[in-house]
Amino acid sequence: MDFKPSPERQILFDTLKKYFENEYSLSDRNIAAHSDLGYSKTAWESMRTLGILESLIDPELDGFGGTALDISTVFEALGRGLVVEPFLEVGILAAKVLSKGNDAQKSLVKKILENECLPILAHSETDTEYSKSFVETKLFVEADGGYKISGAKRMIKHAAEATHFLVTCRNTGDASSEEGISIACIPTDREGIKIDSFATIDGGRVSDLTFTNISISSEELVGELGMSYSIVSHAIDTGILAICSEALGIMERIKELTLEYLKTRKQFGVPIGKFQAIQHRMAQLLVEIEQARSSVINATIYFDDETEREKTISAAKFSIGKIGTLVAEESIQLHGGMGMTWEYDLGHYAKRLVLIDHEFGDEDFHLQKYISL
Amino acid sequence: MDLNFTKEQENFQIEVRSFLNDNLEPQVVEKVKNGIPITKEDSERWHQKLNEKGWLAGTWPKQYGGQEWDVVEKFIFEEECGSAGAPRIVPFGVGMLAPVLMKFGSQEQRDYWLPRMLTGEDWWCQGYSEPGSGSDLASLKTSAVRDGDHYIVNGQKTWTTFAQHANMIFCLVRTSNEGKPQEGISFILIDMNSPGIEVRPIITLDGSHEVNEIFFSDVKVPAKNLVGEENKGWTYAKYLLTHERTGNANVAVSKRKIQKLKKLADDAKKNEQPLSNDPMFASRLAQIEIDLQNLEITNLRTLASVENGEAPGAESSIIKILGSEIEQDIDNLTRKSLGKRAFVNEPDALSAGYNGAEVFPKAAAYASGKYFNHRKKSIYAGSNEIQKNIISKLMLNL
Repeated sequence: MDFKPSPERQILFDTLKKYFENEYSLSDRNIAAHSDLGYSKTAWESMRTLGILESLIDPELDGFGGTALDISTVFEALGRGLVVEPFLEVGILAAKVLSKGNDAQKSLVKKILENECLPILAHSETDTEYSKSFVETKLFVEADGGYKISGAKRMIKHAAEATHFLVTCRNTGDASSEEGISIACIPTDREGIKIDSFATIDGGRVSDLTFTNISISSEELVGELGMSYSIVSHAIDTGILAICSEALGIMERIKELTLEYLKTRKQFGVPIGKFQAIQHRMAQLLVEIEQARSSVINATIYFDDETEREKTISAAKFSIGKIGTLVAEESIQLHGGMGMTWEYDLGHYAKRLVLIDHEFGDEDFHLQKYISL
Repeated sequence: MDLNFTKEQENFQIEVRSFLNDNLEPQVVEKVKNGIPITKEDSERWHQKLNEKGWLAGTWPKQYGGQEWDVVEKFIFEEECGSAGAPRIVPFGVGMLAPVLMKFGSQEQRDYWLPRMLTGEDWWCQGYSEPGSGSDLASLKTSAVRDGDHYIVNGQKTWTTFAQHANMIFCLVRTSNEGKPQEGISFILIDMNSPGIEVRPIITLDGSHEVNEIFFSDVKVPAKNLVGEENKGWTYAKYLLTHERTGNANVAVSKRKIQKLKKLADDAKKNEQPLSNDPMFASRLAQIEIDLQNLEITNLRTLASVENGEAPGAESSIIKILGSEIEQDIDNLTRKSLGKRAFVNEPDALSAGYNGAEVFPKAAAYASGKYFNHRKKSIYAGSNEIQKNIISKLMLNL
């Protein structure tokens, strides 16, 4: 039995880790993450030259990776760096959807690699519905064979910068039905799209989108009319695997920062790590983080197994949600006031870690889903 | 056992309620109820309204402009303010320094400083923590050396809340290195406009500016600003901290926040049903409600013992731990209840001049920010670990 990554993946991870430590300063990251754009175009450009996007994309679409193990390796490194650039949104969600499309749509994946487009999946609709099949945006079939789309999407990350939206919509079925879901790939300058953007607590911008009677041609559908749930579902599961791995990288970094603090911060004449009450709390964090890692490994192993994938993904997302919040809260408490400051790294990691529970379903949602599967 | 208020106490409650109803500004209440920070000006206008009524410092003696409220009247007032969404009275002057001056200050100091707290001429901040002295407060190093009619102060304070608004600070300073660290500490009042003082903001992880670092280099402080005796400051500081911790139950504020949370959960949908019907959410909410009900009684038991003449001891540590953790639990569940909306951070969304997109529900504007900001509650005013040390020592004799 061997849980070590392959030598190639280990090299990729080490290269990225070193790059983030030396080239991706957290203070610059924070300025960019909370700017009007929400990320740094310069950082995005220079990280692309490292081949991060290629490592997330299948060889048939000009990438050199794209497996669950590749994605997990890369996103753990991205988590360590607290990278805010849109690798999840573009390299995973949009690329996975487009890879199931027609030739023109597949060519958009290649254009992603050439930095010629920034497609964004516009799927989520209400704040607290996490079901992957929840879609109320309407698709109307027109007499001329074209379509019209009307509806609203909420909390779409990095949408304001997008060149294309991949809009989920339905022409039949109830709001949560897996039947009747289509995906339309449209340029963002199409008439009838309204974008309202907000600053976020963990960095990057999010937007609410309103689509009013958008005209779509039949070539703009990704997959068959009403049959695209499995495409969205698979893309989101991949996204969950990615952010669970990101959370692991964040937790490892938080563990390092906290351990360093416990060894150096002195009160009552000794490093505070000498107090048994503190040692036990830190030891508990280590135990929990190991469990979190195992949950992600399990989800990675079963990712291509159609019968086990959703269950192990829900188990991982539940574990990450529960453990992530604990790690964030405990590490801030162990740092005292220092953990509360903008200037120190820890708080920024803690914010992202907690907010990961708000993406693709929180711990409660995934526990219930696990029970139902 | 009798948990009811007396007729007089009930009448007082009605009077407070009607005063709040007539005098609170709706736009300030909206900010408070949605968990959004208020401005210095919002606080000052409210202090002035309360002062006109004689309620800014209700527990003070009548000769200084107070009402001589007992613990139950203070409790009633604070609970009514909490449920109405009134701004919290900024505590550093009226709630913290004033009791110290009344017990340990000179008559001249009381006559000069107390009225100015009521009129708002002085905005006080608290100079306790230092970079190397947090939980181990007695190790503080900022020094005050006597030089004729003055002390010369050098050193650094940190985590100073609202120092950016303050014109005065009360400080713990080291006046002796003899004996135990606690025995060389003095309590002194310093004008923030003195030459040699520099205030630098500390921005917290939610992006807000509440706390500061303060640097003192050769700051001249008149010797008459020393409170009580030299090297007795630790006694005064402990007296102040016990006062600081008694008002930490925040039961009414937490009840109001739970009502708000229920409303959010009724309006949100999960699995096409109200989120409040979700068994996991309902279970989380019910546990917090039960904890809060229990705290309400624990707090009243402490009040009753104080009313019967017992000094607040380690009980205030119990209240501090529970009050802070329950409020954090509510903030946590509020964040969770907003789902994806919890990513939003637009704390100015209810302020005049905000020109971004409308945030709905309004509570989402700062819910995550509030959650992260309130992690401070288990850290400040003596971290909850320090409270457990106090309980272990004073109640368990370990």
